[in-house]
Amino acid sequence: MKIVDRIVNWARLKSPWVIHFNTGACNACDIEIVASITPTYDLERFGSLLKGTPRHADVLLCSGPVTRQLKDRLVRIYEQMPEPKFVVAVGTCACSGGVFNGCYSMLSGIDEAIPVSMYIPGCPASPDAIIDGVVKLLKEYEKSLKDKK
Amino acid sequence: MTLYLIKILIFPGLLFLFILSLIGEYYDRKLYARMQNRVGPPWFQPVADFIKLLGKELIIPLNADARIFKILPVFACVATIVAYLYIPLFSKTSLLPFNGDIIFVLYMLTLPTLSYALAGWYSRSPYALIGSTRVLTQLFAYEVPLFMAVLAPAILASSWSFSELITFYQTHNWLWLVNILGFIVAMITLQGKLEKVPFDIPEAETEIVAGVFTEYTGPLYAYFRLAMNMQTIAGASLVAAVFLPFGFGSCLIVNFVIYILKIAFILFLLALMRTLFARLRIDQMLVFCWKYLAPIALAQITLNIIIKAWL
Repeated sequence: MKIVDRIVNWARLKSPWVIHFNTGACNACDIEIVASITPTYDLERFGSLLKGTPRHADVLLCSGPVTRQLKDRLVRIYEQMPEPKFVVAVGTCACSGGVFNGCYSMLSGIDEAIPVSMYIPGCPASPDAIIDGVVKLLKEYEKSLKDKK
Repeated sequence: MTLYLIKILIFPGLLFLFILSLIGEYYDRKLYARMQNRVGPPWFQPVADFIKLLGKELIIPLNADARIFKILPVFACVATIVAYLYIPLFSKTSLLPFNGDIIFVLYMLTLPTLSYALAGWYSRSPYALIGSTRVLTQLFAYEVPLFMAVLAPAILASSWSFSELITFYQTHNWLWLVNILGFIVAMITLQGKLEKVPFDIPEAETEIVAGVFTEYTGPLYAYFRLAMNMQTIAGASLVAAVFLPFGFGSCLIVNFVIYILKIAFILFLLALMRTLFARLRIDQMLVFCWKYLAPIALAQITLNIIIKAWL
């Protein structure tokens, strides 16, 4: 691996900016996601910032099973994010559909619409779990880079 | 000639400003975090952000004018660097002094704001468009009080040049203290110029996504962030040179330390304001600037004219 790639990969690991998108959740996971960026949990320790636009973000935090209405919008937001990008499914519904599994108006989980890098179960997933998940995502990314080398 | 180029490109020009702006961003974010009782980002955070943004994919919207879309971030950076070269930092004269450089620096520091507005306009996105109209509206609110506040000390020194202003305040010890009202006005309007929290109406995340920068990705956004950080340092240096004109007398190293302390003090005040206040609405901001800040700046000018009769 060239030295420039190494520096860029180091920078990517140290500054994951997140964007939060509600894909039809009951709002519990959204409240927990918002709680995890409050001063109590302090995500900025890991260099993480909450961004308003997908154009600036690296990590897409999705909560909820994807409703059929939202699917096109979710794909569009995913495609608006510049590479490299990661998707984190927050909550049981986002992972597998949860209680909505098999519902006529819902898909069962984010991974039926867009590729997902990390699943965080929980109903709702606690802020600790969300932060742990994002940190583990970064570690996995680091490991995959090393394997590639 | 070589020495001149080194001064412009390395110290105290381009590279020095680049490093100082990254340190300034870290200092600001860390102070902001500590005031909220949290740990805050590690020391390499601004560097990591900058490199990460440079390494990301560049997306240009289909409707946007690609050429201007690409030029504007660089334009904002260059305008700020040029302004910084004309501000005296730790010696009495700047790199390229001439008569009237205070006005020149003020106008050069307006150019990044105009390039933000144009960037929003050429992005062809509704959020960016609203952001750019807000940038321009806000510009009309803070620009006049800022100009009046900065020109008040110059009226007392009866000169539009930085070096003559500093020489004047050196010969009249402690006279710079009469400009304290102007200093307060300049600090508040500087916050508006940098689009930080009480006046971050143009990029209000909760209302209009990211304002003028909504469509900017990767390297171009990195340059805009850099321009913002450099504008912070250049604005702080301008306020330090005009309102705190002391500590230019002794040797270069002592002057340098005093300069860094002044910048740290001004950035501390800006971070304090960012922590203490919540965002205003655009009409509240206009009313505040025109009803309160402009008359205070005018009072400062009147006071200086009266004092001038006594000197």
